[in-house]
Amino acid sequence: TVLCACRYAVEDVPFSVPAASETTDLSHLINKLLAAGNVDHKYVEFDFLINGQFLRMPLVAHMEMENISTEEVVEIEYVEKYMAPQPEECIFHDDWISSVQATEEWILTGCYDQTARIWSLEGKSILTVAGHTEVVKDAVWVKQDSLSCLLLSASMDQTVLLWEWNVEKNKVKALHCCRGHAGSVDSIAVDSTRTKFCSGSWDKMLKIWSAVPTDEEDELEEAANRPRKKQKTEQFGLTRTPLATLSGHTEAVSSVLWSDAEEICSASWDHTIKLWDAETGDLKSTLTGNKVFNSVSYSPLCRRLASGSTDRHIRLWDPRSKDGSLVLLSLTSHTGWVTSVKWSPTHEHQLISGSLDNIVKLWDTRSCKAPLYDLAAHEDKVLCVDWTETGLLLSGGADNKLYCYRYPATASDIGA
Amino acid sequence: LQDIRNTVGNIPMEWYQDFPHIGYDLDGKKIYKPIRNKDELDMFLEKMENPDYWRTVQDKMTGADIKLTDEQVDLVHRLQRGQFGDVHFNPYEPAVDFFTHEVMIHPVTNRPADKRSFIPSLIEKEKVSKLVHAIKMGWIKPRKPKDDSPSYYDLWAHEDPNSILGRHKMHVPAPKMKLPGHEESYNPPPEYLLSEEEKLAWEQQEVAERKLNFVPQRFGSLRQVPAYPRFIQERFERCLDLYLCPRQRKMRVNVNPEDLIPKLPKPRDLQPFPTTQALIYRGHSSLVRCLSISPSGQWLVSGSDDGTVRFWEVCTARCMKTLPVGGVVKSIAWNPNPTICLVAICVEQSVLLVNPCLGDKLLYGATDQLLESYVAPEEERVQPVRWVTATAEEHSKGIRLVIQHSKAVKQVTWHGKGDYLASVVSDNSSMQVLIHQSSKRWSQSPFRRSKGMVQVVLFHPTRPYFFVATQRYVRIYNLLKQELTKKLMTNCKWVSSMAIHPGGDNIICGSYDSKLAWFDLDLSTRPYQLLRHHKRALRSVAFHRRYPLFASGSDDGSVIVCHGMVYNDLLQNPLLVPVKVLKGHVITLDLGVLDVLFHPTQPWVFSSGADGTIRLYT
Repeated sequence: TVLCACRYAVEDVPFSVPAASETTDLSHLINKLLAAGNVDHKYVEFDFLINGQFLRMPLVAHMEMENISTEEVVEIEYVEKYMAPQPEECIFHDDWISSVQATEEWILTGCYDQTARIWSLEGKSILTVAGHTEVVKDAVWVKQDSLSCLLLSASMDQTVLLWEWNVEKNKVKALHCCRGHAGSVDSIAVDSTRTKFCSGSWDKMLKIWSAVPTDEEDELEEAANRPRKKQKTEQFGLTRTPLATLSGHTEAVSSVLWSDAEEICSASWDHTIKLWDAETGDLKSTLTGNKVFNSVSYSPLCRRLASGSTDRHIRLWDPRSKDGSLVLLSLTSHTGWVTSVKWSPTHEHQLISGSLDNIVKLWDTRSCKAPLYDLAAHEDKVLCVDWTETGLLLSGGADNKLYCYRYPATASDIGA
Repeated sequence: LQDIRNTVGNIPMEWYQDFPHIGYDLDGKKIYKPIRNKDELDMFLEKMENPDYWRTVQDKMTGADIKLTDEQVDLVHRLQRGQFGDVHFNPYEPAVDFFTHEVMIHPVTNRPADKRSFIPSLIEKEKVSKLVHAIKMGWIKPRKPKDDSPSYYDLWAHEDPNSILGRHKMHVPAPKMKLPGHEESYNPPPEYLLSEEEKLAWEQQEVAERKLNFVPQRFGSLRQVPAYPRFIQERFERCLDLYLCPRQRKMRVNVNPEDLIPKLPKPRDLQPFPTTQALIYRGHSSLVRCLSISPSGQWLVSGSDDGTVRFWEVCTARCMKTLPVGGVVKSIAWNPNPTICLVAICVEQSVLLVNPCLGDKLLYGATDQLLESYVAPEEERVQPVRWVTATAEEHSKGIRLVIQHSKAVKQVTWHGKGDYLASVVSDNSSMQVLIHQSSKRWSQSPFRRSKGMVQVVLFHPTRPYFFVATQRYVRIYNLLKQELTKKLMTNCKWVSSMAIHPGGDNIICGSYDSKLAWFDLDLSTRPYQLLRHHKRALRSVAFHRRYPLFASGSDDGSVIVCHGMVYNDLLQNPLLVPVKVLKGHVITLDLGVLDVLFHPTQPWVFSSGADGTIRLYT
């Protein structure tokens, strides 16, 4: 059995380790070796990987399960044990939190009280963005400058509003009202150039819109038919119509994202994930599952899709693969529907998930049987999760609370 | 000797013992017995003194004493010695052999030979000529060649080979005796010897139940083994075994009982179907009687005994709206037409038509316009109900129209097109069922006579049929021809609920005696299958619109989901397989599940319970 590392490197000499030893025993062993090499070494907790799988049980049991021969020399990698996420803030809302997205400075949440809210990272309420006539289902940042920020909110009232937030004056102004959906808009996603966004709705359509504020108003076709309605919503910005409409789903679209500069990925209640070419509006490929998809997330680091559906599994998909085995891995530990998944923006193996069983779980794909950490703070259904580049984990739910956790941004520094 | 002839004949002379005479002579006169007056002494003296006493005998016929002569005495002596009576007869005279082997010169008889010995016999000639004729004719064969073939024959040649085979087959061997084992040895290994407890147990066992019919014993040597006392008995038992060995074979049908059960597919091959509880919709404070879902599957509506109707978002269990209606909500039905956004709610004596204002704005705006576009006809029509437009306050809550009935309404259901709706009034008259047209605000009572307490009514999804379930029967009416088409016997005591397959050819009925009857309308008017899976009364049954699933909710707090595949092939009967029992509802007030409902597009089932919750199983 060989042990090796990089930062905490030990000599590349095979050791024989008792078969019954667990991670703590191995950790002690490594620490002893390191202390022997370096006098001022501090005790470090390690985690161990065998062939890319985390060791979560006694060595012999793991090897038996993975069919690894005990006769040969087994290479065990070790990494510094991931620290548990530290709880930071608990932000109280007036109603259920439907979505959350955070940046380096602010947190944007969509709320069931028909508003979107902007919070500072310290949990201070900065602004309430009110304008929708129905539940806000999704809210995302478009652009952030020191002076003004652009943000989008999608609602059950079938519109997406583009807001401009003047940071200095702390004033928000609705620039555009994006009309065209015939159902509640459940999900929006902004592309990498920050000039377009895509929305997915209950009416089975995906629509692509421009995210650039202009002074002109697009002409709505049926505007003449309903002058009263138009006047009522006049105060919330200029009407905007979609650039393109992608139809192909047979049920409601629950989640959309840009997986590439010109590629849209949408998850739907019709048990499929579809990949679209945003430029031409063509359907590129379809991944078929057997459950309703609630949420989908894409990691450019590992080029995998993670999906949460109306069962207790998180499934990892390879969007590029054309052959049969589309589901690469299932992460199973939740006991309710997985409502939301989010890949780590910095770590290629880690993701978090929120579920109807009130628990947020932090996963490492190398340990698919058990999550790294359970964050069991919510008292009701978890509806949304987010992970920022600065290492902040956020989760909001039906208990009207938004929990923030600080998680040390460990880059994928596997001991090699 | 006196010549006295006694004529009595050969009779026993004792018969004349007591008479003075001894018989009768030839003349018929009595022959008197000679006077005998000698006593014993005289007899003795006579014997001593008379020298001829020894040769004196009494003649029985006359009773006189006769003195035998010397010749007579001599004859008596000879006869006594076994000699011939005649003195002159020589029994040993020399024999003369007339027919000897020695040829004599003189023949014994010298008679000349017969003539017939010289001439041929006519009779013989006749016989010979008969034989010759028979030979000529071939009737008999002289000098028949000898048959050299063996004279034995096949005893079983004419027997039916099958019967032989059968006899061999039917051979029942006598039961074999068990060979003696170690335990029967005079010196068995110690493990075969019974311990004290075993011996006690052996003694207490029934004789027939004993594994061994003797107790193994140990002896020092074979000499010490005593005579076996049960030998005769065992021989007798053996003879009984042989004698009682069955002489007739019983044809036992060897069928595995499991083969008799029809082969049903495994539930896991019939996926998808709801398996786990996913969401609980909490908010009602009393039992939730009824459920309905929007055609898109986004919204759920529930009516409760707490006097409210709640609208829920299906995927998050969020209560979007609460509509207080001020009474127990008995039944609720969302308009199945996806272009109309209207919910019919039964509250006490009225049916409310409510626009929930959920979903597409265009749709619910159009629904309002449709209802507002109604122009009242000039003449007042006589209607069994009153159509009332909602007041401004009610309008703001979403209520658009109120259909006021004369009695309490217990059920409401929409036609598939979404214009007509039927309501059931708890009444005994002929006005139990009413059909309303919402666009013309026109109601009518389709039936002239009451056929019993109507429990449930249903519209056929595609054809103009109308189903009316009374306590025991389901009647199917053709609405166009206005006649009774069929009458289904449910075999249940009290029908509680009914649902129709989206294809329209199959119906399920739930009953309060915990049975679920599946009718195939093409097959018969009796249930195709009667499922008794629930332990208590069924309250509700439902079909899925797309998946081959149906569900039933019962007072025992469980929902049973069954796979109910209906084939297009008319020859193939529907396949019904129970796949899942879903539990979760707490039984309150002795009631469990009150309503079940399938999601229109997903294989999900909703159930509402007496505990005030609605549960979603996926």
